[in-house]
Amino acid sequence: MAMRDTSEERASPGLLGPGLFVILLEALLALLLFLFLTSESWIVTVGLLAAAGAGFLWLQRNPEIETRITDWFAQARLVAIVVGGALAVAFPFFLGGDSYVLHLLIIAELYAVLALALNFQLGSANIPNFATGASYGIGAYASALLAIHFGIGFWGGLVASAMVATFFGFVLGVPSMRTRESYLALVTIAFGVVVHQVINNVTWTGGPNGLVGIPAPTLFGHSFAEPIEVLGFRLPSQANFYYTALALIGLSIVVARRLHHSRIGLAWNALRTDELAARCQGINVTWYKVLAFAVDAFMAAFAGTIYAFYIGYISPDNFTFLVSVTIMTMVIVGGMDNIFGVILGAFLLTVLPEKFRVFSDYRLLLYGVIVIGMLMVRPEGLFPKRLRRYGGHG
Amino acid sequence: MSEEILQQLINWIALGSIYALLAVGFSLLFGVLGVIHFSHGDISLVAPFVALAILQTALASLSWFGGAADLVLACLIAIAAVGVLGIAIDRFVLRAFRDKPAMMALVTTVALGIVIRELIRHLFPQGGNPHAFPTPLAEPAFALGNVVVSWFTVLDVASATAVLLVLSILLRKTGVGVRIRAVSQDREAARLMGIDANAVFRNTFFIASATGALAGLLYASYVGVTRFDFGILAGLMGFSAAVIGGLGSIPGAVIGGLLLAGVETFAQAAIENGTAYRQVFAFLLVIAFLVFRPAGLFGRTVTEKV
Repeated sequence: MAMRDTSEERASPGLLGPGLFVILLEALLALLLFLFLTSESWIVTVGLLAAAGAGFLWLQRNPEIETRITDWFAQARLVAIVVGGALAVAFPFFLGGDSYVLHLLIIAELYAVLALALNFQLGSANIPNFATGASYGIGAYASALLAIHFGIGFWGGLVASAMVATFFGFVLGVPSMRTRESYLALVTIAFGVVVHQVINNVTWTGGPNGLVGIPAPTLFGHSFAEPIEVLGFRLPSQANFYYTALALIGLSIVVARRLHHSRIGLAWNALRTDELAARCQGINVTWYKVLAFAVDAFMAAFAGTIYAFYIGYISPDNFTFLVSVTIMTMVIVGGMDNIFGVILGAFLLTVLPEKFRVFSDYRLLLYGVIVIGMLMVRPEGLFPKRLRRYGGHG
Repeated sequence: MSEEILQQLINWIALGSIYALLAVGFSLLFGVLGVIHFSHGDISLVAPFVALAILQTALASLSWFGGAADLVLACLIAIAAVGVLGIAIDRFVLRAFRDKPAMMALVTTVALGIVIRELIRHLFPQGGNPHAFPTPLAEPAFALGNVVVSWFTVLDVASATAVLLVLSILLRKTGVGVRIRAVSQDREAARLMGIDANAVFRNTFFIASATGALAGLLYASYVGVTRFDFGILAGLMGFSAAVIGGLGSIPGAVIGGLLLAGVETFAQAAIENGTAYRQVFAFLLVIAFLVFRPAGLFGRTVTEKV
C-alpha cells in the first residue's frame, strides 16, 4: 500500500501528466492492433506477439510500474474513456474498406461481450460455467426463429431473445443451488451438450443444416445490408454491425461496472472468497448464484442475436461446447474480474487463430500452446483483478 | 424380442466397463490435483494411435509372432507409453500450477486437450481421418440362447474388472496407494509426514493414464475405428461417470459407468431415432443426478467446519 501512495503523490501535481500518458498509450495500443490486424507478413505478427510477451514478462518482474500505470488510468479516467471511445469509433475509417478485418473485429467484439457476461460468474463469483455458448446459441436461435416465422425484426428480437435466454439461465441456475465446483461445472457442461444436441436434432430448428434467410436489420430506414456513407467516407456494410456490437460492449462495460460497484458485485466477491462466510454474513448465496447465471444468459443472448442477424445463417456447430471453452479461456487469459483484461483476452484470442492462417493447419495447435504458455508466464491472467478501493482517489 | 434385450444387455456391460475405466482415472487425478483433468480423455485416446503406429511400422517388418500376439504387444507398449506421457504432462506442464488458483489448472488441461488432439492429427499419417482399429477375438466365446458373446466382450469385461480390482487393492493395501490417498486427503499434512508429493503425482499420473489407455484401446476396438477427436466425448463420458458415482470412489466409478452406458444403450435400442438423442439422455441423467444427489452416489457429503 505504501508503494501505491508514493506513486500517487508523485503523479498528482497536475492531471496533464497522466492524461497525456493515457492518450499516448491508447494511441499506441490502437496502432499495434491496427498493425497486427492488417499485416500480411507473418514476421510482423510473430514480432508483435514476441514484443507483447516480453512486455508482459517485464511487467511481471516490475509490479511497481504496473501499479503506476493503473493509477494513471484511474486518475485520468474521463480522458481514457473519451479517447478510447473515439479511437474505437474511428477505427473502421482507417481500414480502407477492408471487410475481412472488419469481420474479425465484429466477431472479437461479440466474444468480448460473451466474455464480459461470463466474467460475472467466473470472475466475480468463481462459478465455473461451461454453458455460455449454450446461452449464446439460445439467444441466436430465439431471435432467428422469431424473425423467420413471425417477422419480428432485429430490435424486437434482441429483447425477446434476451428474455428467453434469461429464462433458461434461471433454469440452469436451479441445479446450482445444490452443487459446487467440479460438480457445478459438470451440470453446466451437461446443459450445454443437451442444448446443442437438441438444436441439432429437432426439425423446427433446421437440424444440422441450421437456419438460413435471417433478414438484415434496419434502423431509421437505414438497412444494415447497405454501406455507411459519412462525410464522403464509405464504410462496408459490416460497419453497421461493428457499431452495433461496439454499442453493446459499451453497454456491457457500464453494466459490469455498475454491478461491480454495487451490493450485488460485493456479494458475488464475498461468495468467491468464502461461500460459507458469505452465508454467515446473511448473504442469500443461492439467489446471488442464480442471479449470476441469469445475467450471463441475458448478455450472451444479445451477442447471439447480433451474430445471427450479422451472418444471416446459424447452425448448431456455432454453439458447441468448444465455444464455451473458448469464452472461458478468454476470461482467464485476460484476467478474471478485470473488465479491460477480459476484453483484451477476447480480442487477442479471436484474432490470434486468424493470424495463424498462414500456418493453416497448425493454428489450433499454436493456439493451445500459446494459451498454456501465457498461463505459465502470467498465471493470474494478463491483467489480474485489482483490489477494491474505497474513498480517497476513486 | 428377449434375444434383442439380451444382446443389448451385453452391449451395455461392454460399454459400461470402458466408461468405468475412464471414470477411475478421473477420480484418481481429481483426488491429487483437486481439479478436473480435462485432457484425460484425450490422453487416453492417444493409446490406439500409438498401437496402430507400432503395428504399421515396427512390428509389420519384424513380424515375430504374427496376428493377435502382435496386437497384444503393441497394446502393452501403447499402455506404457501413455502412462509415461501422463507423467511428462504432469512434470512439464501441470507442476507449474500446483499452488495456483484451480481455474488456471482447469483451463490449462482444456488447452492441453486441444494440443494433444492437434498433435495426433499432424503427427499421424492422415491423422484427420478415422482409422480402422482391429477388433481382436471376434469369434464367439459362448452362446446364451441364440445370442453369441464374442471373446472380445469377455476380454473387455474381464480386463476392466481385473484392473479395477487390482486398483482397489493397490489403493488400500500398498504403500504407493496409501500415499496417493494421503496426498488426496491433505497435501500439506502428507508432506509433513515425509511423503514426497511429486513422486505421488508421478505414480498417480502413470496409473491413471495407463488405465485410461486401456480404456482407449478397448473403446477403439469396440467401435472398430479411432479418430483424433474421440477424446472429447470419451472424456466427458468418463468425467460424468466419475461424478455420478461420486468422485474418489472406485465402486462409484463402476456404477456411474454402468448407469451412463445403460442410458445410452437403452436410448439407442428402445426409442425411435434414439441414436441421435443418446447424448441428450445421458446428460439429462447427469443433471438429474446432480440435482438430487449433489455429491454423487458414493461421494461423501462434505460438511465444513466454521
